[in-house]
Amino acid sequence: METTQLKEQLKRQIIEFLNLTDTTPESIQDDKPLFGDEGLGLDSIDSLELIVLLNREYGIVIKDLKEGRKVLVDVNTMVDYIEKHRTK
Amino acid sequence: MLYIHHTSCINPQKEPDSPPVPVNNQLKAVEPGYEGIPGNVLRRMSKSVRMGVGAALPLLKYGPDGILIGTGYGGMEDSVRFLNQIVAYDEGLLTPGTFVQSTANAIASQLGLLHHNRGYNITYVSRGLSFESALLDAAMLVKEHPGKSWLVAGVDEISDHHYRFECAEGWYKGGVVAGEGAAAFLVNDRPAGALGRISKIVLIGGEDEAVLRSALTGILDGQTPGLLLSGENGGSGENGGSGGNGGMDDSREGKWYRIVESLMGPDADIVRFKTICGEYPTASAFALWLACNLPAALQDHRHILFYNNYKFTQHSLMLLERLL
Amino acid sequence: MSRVFVTGIGIISAVGSTLRENRSALAAGKSGISFAATLSSRYAGILPCGSISTSTDQWREQFGIDDPGITRTTLLALHAFSDAIADAGLAETSLRDPRVALVGATTVGGMCLTDELYRDTTRSCQGSPYLSSYDCASVHLYLQSRYGMTGLATTINTACSSSANAIQYGARLIRNGLARTAIVGGTDSLAKFTINGFHALQILSSEPCRPFDRDRSGLNLGEGAAFLVLEGEESRPTKTIYAELTGYCNTNDAFHPSALSLAGDGPCLAMQGALQSAGLNPSQIDFINTHGTATENNDEAEARAMLRVFAKLPPFASTKSYTGHTLGAAGAIEAVYSILSIRHQELYASLNFAEPIPDIGVRPVQAYRQHNVRHVMSNSFGFGGNCTSLIFSNVN
Repeated sequence: METTQLKEQLKRQIIEFLNLTDTTPESIQDDKPLFGDEGLGLDSIDSLELIVLLNREYGIVIKDLKEGRKVLVDVNTMVDYIEKHRTK
Repeated sequence: MLYIHHTSCINPQKEPDSPPVPVNNQLKAVEPGYEGIPGNVLRRMSKSVRMGVGAALPLLKYGPDGILIGTGYGGMEDSVRFLNQIVAYDEGLLTPGTFVQSTANAIASQLGLLHHNRGYNITYVSRGLSFESALLDAAMLVKEHPGKSWLVAGVDEISDHHYRFECAEGWYKGGVVAGEGAAAFLVNDRPAGALGRISKIVLIGGEDEAVLRSALTGILDGQTPGLLLSGENGGSGENGGSGGNGGMDDSREGKWYRIVESLMGPDADIVRFKTICGEYPTASAFALWLACNLPAALQDHRHILFYNNYKFTQHSLMLLERLL
Repeated sequence: MSRVFVTGIGIISAVGSTLRENRSALAAGKSGISFAATLSSRYAGILPCGSISTSTDQWREQFGIDDPGITRTTLLALHAFSDAIADAGLAETSLRDPRVALVGATTVGGMCLTDELYRDTTRSCQGSPYLSSYDCASVHLYLQSRYGMTGLATTINTACSSSANAIQYGARLIRNGLARTAIVGGTDSLAKFTINGFHALQILSSEPCRPFDRDRSGLNLGEGAAFLVLEGEESRPTKTIYAELTGYCNTNDAFHPSALSLAGDGPCLAMQGALQSAGLNPSQIDFINTHGTATENNDEAEARAMLRVFAKLPPFASTKSYTGHTLGAAGAIEAVYSILSIRHQELYASLNFAEPIPDIGVRPVQAYRQHNVRHVMSNSFGFGGNCTSLIFSNVN
């Protein structure tokens, strides 16, 4: 799958998985921070949920939150990691 | 002595003075838009948390010093959602959000978070006496901390799974309808400007008639309130039944209400509040809201007695004096 | 308002099924956490837990219970409850007095029947013996019914601080004249449901927990129950009083649904509030039985909060290193351990500690010792920011 397509797919998956009913894929810029008030405003429970999403959709295993923090910065970093480590 | 100053309620009634019509033997609450709850927070909430927070939110601006919640089965639906994940993924990697939302204290916790409220915070899960336990706690707090105010609420949702369990146990027959809702109150020790004053709250367990009679005699103390808010079931369900004499098992439920009614004066009005809110563990919270927001035809009543019976063995009695 | 005394105790945990057994284990520094596979779960035998080896069926037989809907959680409560009333010298018939209140606590309730619940929700059930067992109230309702209790009865669920709240609520019922005696406590059993929930939050450790240690890696779950009999001054009995409940405070951290603020605001307010309610200065506390779950978050927050409250930190320990985190029972079990410290004038070691948390540097008690103990503080902090702190004092 091309990177652009993967980004769009991931944005839809994030919205659905985290039930972000007020958010559209278009409103998530690729480099918009996922966490913090300036970004998408996700919190630590969301980071655990995103680790589950990466596992279920892409077969990726992220061992713990410390490792997760490096991957779950924005859509760009997530897609980069998926492309390198996906098993599905 | 507990003075009620503000109330808020989410319940199945669409229009005032018009009892809602059950669908599939259920009375689902009419939910507001929840504009006061940030989208980021709302997205995670189960229905009971949503309703509980939604009902209590308008009262937070009065700055309660603590939050007390009663919920009979709050969290059950999210518990089952998490349970389904456990099975579907064979205890593998699971999403924690549902687990956290399934905890009974999620409502009280969320209210504390939204209001940055670091005061007293507690949740009672005592089935049909959950709301009364919270109210009793508030009555103690009012004595222990003069001048402070407390937010007390009773919340329950119709959980599809729980409804099926209860059907299997035979609870929904003869006009008994499942209901849901959330009712919240701001209470303190100040008479000025209060809507009403609760002078007695009594919680009883078991099926001993003498205990109920004795409690009734004790709280009435020679008075005869003009209005009884009765938790008797029956009358609006699909299985028909006339008002007041339907019920899950007429002799086993009805007899308690006959005892209470016999001690009311012959001219007392009786309002069976479950025709509006349906049956659920914290329906008495709705009854208290109703008493503070009576329709015009009943507003002359000053002294109101409440009696609720939940699944035969849990009884609550309250005495309210309307002040406005 | 009346003083409140503890006149009876019943306890069961991974370190013993009697008060004596629990105290022996604490004094010997012997943990009950193991890799025993008592639970039907893929994590059984993999994640260490504070499990009790007695089977549910054995307890059913012991108590003469046929009803399969009486869950392990309830049986643990029954064990502790029956011991508590016997210990207080209360005849079973006296429990029918309407002035005897029952305040229970549990977070698991009947959810320990995880597999049965799944089966009941996925098929159109014709009726199952478990349907009325799944909720939290099922525990206290069973006790109320079994003993014919007619007084106030309720259950509290504020996650890990549940039974600490049961204790303060029962005490206040007495002080407000709504009960003469209050039997208060909590219970929780190991459950597939809970293990998976905590695992999803990534706060379970794969090794025996190390409270307050630099290298701590999470908590171990445990099961157990404890009940205390509280009585007011009017009914002050002639038999021995264990201790007096002199202070309590319930606050909310209001920071996050499942984590404490790193500065420990809620815990700090709870500890200060308890001290104020007891009329004590921080310097008068001789020992703190901490919440000390060994999660990264709790121990840092609790340590920081203790340093804010106590100019000179008293000795402290986490007894969860013996029992695991018993959730709804934790507050009551640890209240019992706090009382044991007073009764025997001794401090228990906090196990598995080697290096302190960097930048904080606090060290718990590392070896059992005799100590002058007059006032003990017991902390319980739960999900949802629910923080409760209790203070027990010596009456001698």
